[in-house]
Amino acid sequence: MASSGEQQERCPAAAADSLSFMELAVQQAKLALESLEVPVGCVIVEDGKVIASGRNRTNETRNATRHAEMEAIDVILDHWHRSGLSATEVAEIFSRCILYVTCEPCIMCASALSILGIKEVYYGCANDKFGGCGSILSLHIARGFKCYGGIMASEAVSLFRDFYEQGNPNAPKPHRPRAAQASS
Amino acid sequence: MCSKQMGSDDIGQWRIEYIPDKPPVPPDQQPTVDVVASPIDPKFANAIVRRLNQVAPLENLRHVKRVQKKCLEGGKAELSVVLCIVPDNGDLRGMPPDVQELISSYQLSTFTTKVCKYAALSKEEWEAQCKLWPTSYHPPTYNISGITGFSEDDSRSVFSFMKYAVELATSGNEWVVNAAVIVDPISSQVIASACDQVCHSHGSPARTSAEPRCYGQVAAISAKSDVNGRTDYDSLPQNASSNYLEQKGAVVSCLSPWSWAKKCAHQSSSSLWHPLRHAAMVAIESSAERDRQLFPGSGRSEDMVSEMDCAQYSAGSPAKRQKTEDLRFQVEIDEKRDVHSLQGPLEKPYLCTGYDIYLAWEPCVMCAMALVHQRIRRIFYAFPNASAGALGSVQRLQGEKSLNHHYAVFRVFMPQDTLRSVPIPLS
Repeated sequence: MASSGEQQERCPAAAADSLSFMELAVQQAKLALESLEVPVGCVIVEDGKVIASGRNRTNETRNATRHAEMEAIDVILDHWHRSGLSATEVAEIFSRCILYVTCEPCIMCASALSILGIKEVYYGCANDKFGGCGSILSLHIARGFKCYGGIMASEAVSLFRDFYEQGNPNAPKPHRPRAAQASS
Repeated sequence: MCSKQMGSDDIGQWRIEYIPDKPPVPPDQQPTVDVVASPIDPKFANAIVRRLNQVAPLENLRHVKRVQKKCLEGGKAELSVVLCIVPDNGDLRGMPPDVQELISSYQLSTFTTKVCKYAALSKEEWEAQCKLWPTSYHPPTYNISGITGFSEDDSRSVFSFMKYAVELATSGNEWVVNAAVIVDPISSQVIASACDQVCHSHGSPARTSAEPRCYGQVAAISAKSDVNGRTDYDSLPQNASSNYLEQKGAVVSCLSPWSWAKKCAHQSSSSLWHPLRHAAMVAIESSAERDRQLFPGSGRSEDMVSEMDCAQYSAGSPAKRQKTEDLRFQVEIDEKRDVHSLQGPLEKPYLCTGYDIYLAWEPCVMCAMALVHQRIRRIFYAFPNASAGALGSVQRLQGEKSLNHHYAVFRVFMPQDTLRSVPIPLS
């Protein structure tokens, strides 16, 4: 678990808070796993309160863009829209929001978070194939958000491992490189 | 290159340009190698070249011509020959002994010069190479789904669908937005089409703005119904040209993805807006909905479950019918044809495998990555996106080797008068 002293110094959010919010994201990832989805989950937090959660639904929707982040974003946008908030107000709230997600946002999601102007992102394990927050591209730097990795990374990785072990019993043994250590 | 404005020579003709995985090197900046050369007396040229080919063949420089011929004043020709590559340490005493012997026996006065390291990939590169030292150039003869050229039929199909996409983009009367059309190239069928829905009440064409939050209502328009539902040409800007569209591009979501709050600020509270509903994202959603409608159940089929989009280790997907690897598009098409003939047209698609997408504007990085996730085969766009384009203008996502899927990207140049003159798809 990456709650080392160094991590605490780097993360402005209190470490205990980070962990409890990440626990909720992991709960979402477990829900995805139970639905035979790639186990990634997230929560969006505004002023210390969870305002939305989401988990991967790419198989169910047959839409490979329905990542946990996009699900949570749509939940909260829909809520704000029904509350009659204007685009300007929504932009202002996003600029105070923090995302906790079990896996580094992919290039698409990192770009979406940049477009929305979210304040900070905390993630679990790195995403060495698609990561948009440092692994492949660094979309959080130019017009982005503060980004911290390695929070409960081992839990996130172990969910992925469970996914492949339960996921497809009929498939030949997949090529499975050793789980990479989460960044930082 | 692909972010340049259309030049005068681009105006006349429809044209498809492949946008490669790596940024093209300017022809005059190609990598070079230093070689030792010498002027030679033409009457010894044959003997010298024959001897050099034995003792110092240009193994890794087969495209480099051994002899350079320069025409001097008075019609006389001066010949020079490449003796060998300059030795690693730059010391000419390190040249092969046989070459040194040749130099002394013909009393050659050597000089060093540069030749291009790699064979030219285009006529432009070749012409630039020959300014240094002559090379040979062999235009590619193979063809992989358009990367080295399209057949006349395929080009016509590409142009019609691109025209349809640009029409969609301009059909809102008031604003020009981005538009996306997902096509199955085997059946020439439109799988889904959509416009930006960032500022919904302004952004979408009449056909899709009728319903509130019309997630995916455009599913499964056939090419025929497109003809029926086609836009009235009179409603298009009379001087609709690419430059005109680029000027009007202020509300194209992919051009300025970050300014949604400003764009939508004056929307009434009842209007629909969504910062991420760019045309490509909406089209993907429509195609997914079409998939669910046409093939209900089995959403958790094995090939889906083995799919991995989020983590750092990828499982193989043995059930995947069409493995997409860099340039193997033609093979995929052939496989797909076979499958069609065996199982009929209602074979369940895997995401958008085998499908093409036509976009008026080069997509931003969010949309470009979404199209990777959804397994699009080829992307065609009409107008480059210098501010935020992810397929060559700012990023070049098609060149990211780590991604698990790669599409081929093309820019389609349109003639000025096209919007009013070219008929829409054909069936």
